[in-house]
Amino acid sequence: MKRRALSHFPVRITENDQGSRCLMNEYNSNNSIEVRSVTKNFQGSQVLDGISFSVGRGEVFGFLGPNGAGKTTTLRILLGLLRPDSGEALVLGKSLDTADAQRKRVGVLFENNGLIDRFTARENLRYYAELYEVSDIEKRISELLEYVGLSDRGDDLVGIFSTGMKRKLGLARAILHKPDILFLDEPSSGLDPEGQKMVHDLIVGLSGQSMTIFLNSHNLDEVSRVCSKVAILHHGTIQAYDSIERLRAGPSGSEITITLSDPALGDRAVAMINALPCVTSTLQEHGHIKVTLSGQSGSAVLEALITGGFGVEEAVRQKRTLEEIYLDVVREAGGILGNPESVAIQEKGSVKV
Amino acid sequence: MNGILVIAKKEIRQLTHNTQLMVSALIMAFIFGAISGPALIATGGTGAGVGIDSLVFTFALMIGLLIGYILSGQTFLREKQEGTIETLLAGPLPIKDIWLGKVIGVLIPAYILTLASTALMIIIAGSLRGDILIPSGPIILHLVTVVPAFIACGVGVLGFIQLLLGMRENQIINVGVIFGLIFLISFSRELLGPGFTISWAGEGLILVITGGLLLAVNAMTRFLNKERIVRSIP
Repeated sequence: MKRRALSHFPVRITENDQGSRCLMNEYNSNNSIEVRSVTKNFQGSQVLDGISFSVGRGEVFGFLGPNGAGKTTTLRILLGLLRPDSGEALVLGKSLDTADAQRKRVGVLFENNGLIDRFTARENLRYYAELYEVSDIEKRISELLEYVGLSDRGDDLVGIFSTGMKRKLGLARAILHKPDILFLDEPSSGLDPEGQKMVHDLIVGLSGQSMTIFLNSHNLDEVSRVCSKVAILHHGTIQAYDSIERLRAGPSGSEITITLSDPALGDRAVAMINALPCVTSTLQEHGHIKVTLSGQSGSAVLEALITGGFGVEEAVRQKRTLEEIYLDVVREAGGILGNPESVAIQEKGSVKV
Repeated sequence: MNGILVIAKKEIRQLTHNTQLMVSALIMAFIFGAISGPALIATGGTGAGVGIDSLVFTFALMIGLLIGYILSGQTFLREKQEGTIETLLAGPLPIKDIWLGKVIGVLIPAYILTLASTALMIIIAGSLRGDILIPSGPIILHLVTVVPAFIACGVGVLGFIQLLLGMRENQIINVGVIFGLIFLISFSRELLGPGFTISWAGEGLILVITGGLLLAVNAMTRFLNKERIVRSIP
């Protein structure tokens, strides 16, 4: 019986090739963000090693990686706060490092929310509204306080707000000027589950308004809830980059679990399935047969079983969770064995990596 | 509203909302004002302008710098410590405009407190001598032009340093600045002597030199660098 390899998930950089080709091309106007072969060194330590990716307009993009992977450095390069050693990072076709006016089209929420504790919620929003030259400021402030559920706390000092309330106000501040792109750095960090859900709902709501969202996070649950595409960064290189759906389907195809009408025929069925060229491995357990396919379609297996006279009671396509994908990717890159923090987290079974 | 003025307005509001800081600055301004008045009488000086001119000339500059120094910590360093500077740098304003807005935001309250402190010193000295002391014309020009420009230069340089350097380096520099300023204020009268007077031409020359200093500080801002600031955020 073939058994599925423990670590079969290869590095998957399906669209990175496109990113590399972009180097020879002009800026693609369908993309809000283009990162091309960016490298960055800090005091001899290679933080980013030629990363390339792009984010399409209106996409909610999750940028994942363990602590120290280079996520914040990438975010800062995109925002023009750091300069890459080589390569380029374009936002709406320009580097934000030099394009001051372009930064008006960008909203950003760092972990500290960018709020002034000695000001009220309204005063905070008014300050940023004036900075971004928002028109009809008071109306916009009232709208946003209502949107984030703080309309009754507008005249309270931010210093007395809870972490969740500050995050809500920070989010309101970041979208005050109706940016085309919103950069979020660990938006649910430090929040209780209710606060996290609120932030997720707000992000989903914003993505419905055609806003491109770049979500920098190590919260896999958050990313799997709100993002359509992800890149996983580890040791300064992008280890995986694709839509969540395609990543969940697996690099070498999908996995299906088959339940036969007569479980006693399991061994014969497994022998027959193993003979099929599209099958990578099989595993028989608890009366089910788990089949890993080299392609995406399991119809050949089902056809073979039915033609062979096996009754199929149920066939279910198995999809991997983002947590499994992430751990596989990091393991492939040597992170699980080499990173004590990752090991500890894996043992706890937490989704936070 | 112009972005520089938005920043300046915010800084003034933030400073005035900080009761502890404002009380410290006020105490500093009034203590130095109050103790310098009797010192003027003790060292003598004849005539209405003579004596008062020599003290006002240096005192206003030094007390302005000291108050500017106290307020700039809140404006530049605190924003860096709290990390909100990163949000500001990611915004639409060029880094130089941010710096300039902050300098103006510190300059205005620092200058008002300097004038108040200087006025207090003159009033106390006058009342002790039973006379009304009025500084000479060139010294009044000095107060309305050179003093604010000099405070702006000092705050500009301090802000530049506080933005670019890390917290440890700033702590070391702060100790040097505070001791240096207190020393200069304490001995400001002795620096020039009680008989010091200044002519219109002399004050004009000082104004030109201060203008040159302003230009030099302005040129220095070319070295403001977002990467340095972000990487020195604690």
